[in-house]
Amino acid sequence: MAESKSIGERIWNRIFAIPIVTQYWAKRTARSESAQFKSAEIPFARLKKPLSQCRVALITTGGTHLKTDKPFDMENPQGDASYREIPGDAAPEDIIITHKYYNHQDADKDLNVVLPFDRMRELISEGVIGELAPVHFGFMGHIDGEQLPILLNRTAPEVAEKLKTADVDFAFMTPA
Amino acid sequence: MCNRSVGLIARAIEEVGIPTTSISLTKDLTLATGVPRAVYIKWPLGHPLGEAGNRAQQRRMIFDALLLLKEAEKPGVLAEPGYRWKREKYPEPDWSRLR
Repeated sequence: MAESKSIGERIWNRIFAIPIVTQYWAKRTARSESAQFKSAEIPFARLKKPLSQCRVALITTGGTHLKTDKPFDMENPQGDASYREIPGDAAPEDIIITHKYYNHQDADKDLNVVLPFDRMRELISEGVIGELAPVHFGFMGHIDGEQLPILLNRTAPEVAEKLKTADVDFAFMTPA
Repeated sequence: MCNRSVGLIARAIEEVGIPTTSISLTKDLTLATGVPRAVYIKWPLGHPLGEAGNRAQQRRMIFDALLLLKEAEKPGVLAEPGYRWKREKYPEPDWSRLR
């Protein structure tokens, strides 16, 4: 197993999953970071066509990847800013989660909790959305310190370019 | 951290002209990161679309995120539907609103 959690990490994940704890932590972290990001203008693109004609790509930081792919690095405390491509025709049983910083038992049971391929396919067959992109992306969202500039300067822009090449009309993004 | 990473990736994607819509599980962090559009929901980490096997709940979260994608007029909009964890009923959304 690429991901082996100590008892301490398991308890920590349980505590952090309690919404009031999460929100308290988020508030504190946000305070220390607001100066870093808030000054920059938020980029904003718009849909160019009706949703029913749009091609959607799913992106999650929930640590999803193909079983055949290299797992995310669980050793580096700063995290892992790399990403894994997930083809649009991947079956749920081809996909696994490597991410020890949250409790993903429910997402393991039902991948749609973090990566809603089944729900999107339903909406496509119902004509709400146009189609699935040929490629989707999994990150492992625990990214800090030295890994943060790698995300900002390399891997996130790289994924953006790949979405453009794949003629993606919008991205549906989920944390974990 | 996951939620900040989502915001930073979303920003990079919008930079190349592709719109994004996100789910957020951490309100203050998402606001501080400057996410283009997000539906904030106060649920346990690891459950952006809700419970395992709850199709109606997952569809509702996707609906809310798509509605924001269609209707948000300015960047940094945070929708807060306020659904309670495991104590909510999810009637089928009116998908025609996305047309």
